[in-house]
Amino acid sequence: MSLAPAHVAGAGMVRFGKYPADVTLEAMALGAAREALSDAGADLAAVEGLYVGHVFGGPVAGQRIAAQLGLDGRPVSNHENYCASGATAIREAWVALAAGLHDVALVIGVEKMTDRVAGGVRPDPGDLDAAVGYVMAAGHAMSARRYMAEHGATREQIAAVAVKNHAHSVHNPWAQYQKPVTLEQVLGARPIAEPLGLLDCSPISDGAAAVLLCTPAGLRRLGLGTGGPRVLGVGQISGSVQTGLGDLNAEDVSRRAGEEAWRLSGVGPADIDLVEMHDCFTIAEIVRMEGLGLVPRGRGAAWAAEGVTALGGRLPVNPSGGLLSRGHPVGATGAAQVCELTWQLRGTAGGRQVEGARTGLAYCKGGTVNGTDGGSVTTVVMTA
Amino acid sequence: MPSADTSPTPRGRPFREGLLALDPPRLLGSRCTDCGAAAFPARTFCPACRTGVVAPAELSTSGRVHSFTVVRQAPPGTEVPYTLAWVDLPADEVRLMAQVVGIAPEGVELDMPVDLELTGFGTAEDGTGLVGFCFRAVGQVAP
Repeated sequence: MSLAPAHVAGAGMVRFGKYPADVTLEAMALGAAREALSDAGADLAAVEGLYVGHVFGGPVAGQRIAAQLGLDGRPVSNHENYCASGATAIREAWVALAAGLHDVALVIGVEKMTDRVAGGVRPDPGDLDAAVGYVMAAGHAMSARRYMAEHGATREQIAAVAVKNHAHSVHNPWAQYQKPVTLEQVLGARPIAEPLGLLDCSPISDGAAAVLLCTPAGLRRLGLGTGGPRVLGVGQISGSVQTGLGDLNAEDVSRRAGEEAWRLSGVGPADIDLVEMHDCFTIAEIVRMEGLGLVPRGRGAAWAAEGVTALGGRLPVNPSGGLLSRGHPVGATGAAQVCELTWQLRGTAGGRQVEGARTGLAYCKGGTVNGTDGGSVTTVVMTA
Repeated sequence: MPSADTSPTPRGRPFREGLLALDPPRLLGSRCTDCGAAAFPARTFCPACRTGVVAPAELSTSGRVHSFTVVRQAPPGTEVPYTLAWVDLPADEVRLMAQVVGIAPEGVELDMPVDLELTGFGTAEDGTGLVGFCFRAVGQVAP
């Protein structure tokens, strides 16, 4: 099975970071949308549908954005799948294009988070694990402890993910943080949930990212020819209720998300030149890469420390700096990953360019729901 | 969420219906009458075989720490630090999340034995005390 690919005609972001309270969600979304339209050389009249991913944006945030942007009256839909919300919006736009509903669709991922979330993110308060004290950092900390015990990985190897991604972010003008950090800084940072410290955690951020998706007919209408990076497929699955006493880091949800991506896109793990990985925490990048089958089981931490997943290595992961450095405005993250893949596949990523990048994968895992191994998982496969 | 306290006899009702029996203290889950897989909290379907009929089940009170962390930063209203663990109940092949009490964070180890214990869990709007669950390190003296 394969659906028609969708070309990314334009990509745009506002720099992720912490914005004052008077910088609204709508204003950030507008900034990213105008960048994407300008990048494509398209005007608003060309846009046939708006797909918006957000988590904390409130009711019909997409329609509020449309009303300010000048897309009022068009079909607008809002997509909430926690950290996978932006990628879910991209999936729905891709499906609509493949179905022949639109030829040109605008996707925005947006979040205004810093004035709404404090002290760490917790799942829905009705979740039993949340009731007994679960916070996201705690789940990943327990994953890290078990990973170290079972695979002989060291704390330093896990910290190497933060060192690597921050080194990449130096070349990303859209990143919240653009400074390198040392291994000593990561290891010496304030503990959040042991063994993880502050620099093992992605920040709470504000931001927006947008892409203009087109069918070949849409490209012709915009006068854009036939070129440019394409979304080959977006896999989406949900976590399953866990039973038994199995491997805490089995990441079966990631394995299934990968299989969905390969099935829909027609490419396989060996074709992937770079990955934008949902590194909400250092350990998450490691176990998710392994779950996808892109890194051998138990080798992810060592690969990070050895530079295999660094720019210039065999399989660069998070050339953008990842969530750890670019920031993690949850609803915007999936769209930002697709912006980065677009720039990488165009060969315009500057100092963070992955040489010869032809095919990339972006992975988001949103939310933890009581008793499952994940909320919603998305895998976007793109090719130049 | 209140931190798990160590008062010996918390009074009141379970903080969530159908989660706990108070006397004697038990976690209330479900078990598949076909494949035997247990679940906590109770489910209306069997997540292991998907086909069996499930019945209510009282779970074992003996656990071991599969993994743990010391939470030092949490949303406002939560007292830190506290030790949070994935606790395995080997007799039921159930893994659940709970706080571990009765031991300093630096004393917690993987696979350490722990026992179910009831704990105060705040107060309901009508003033009734709420009771939750945690696990106590076996053979340890409270710090």
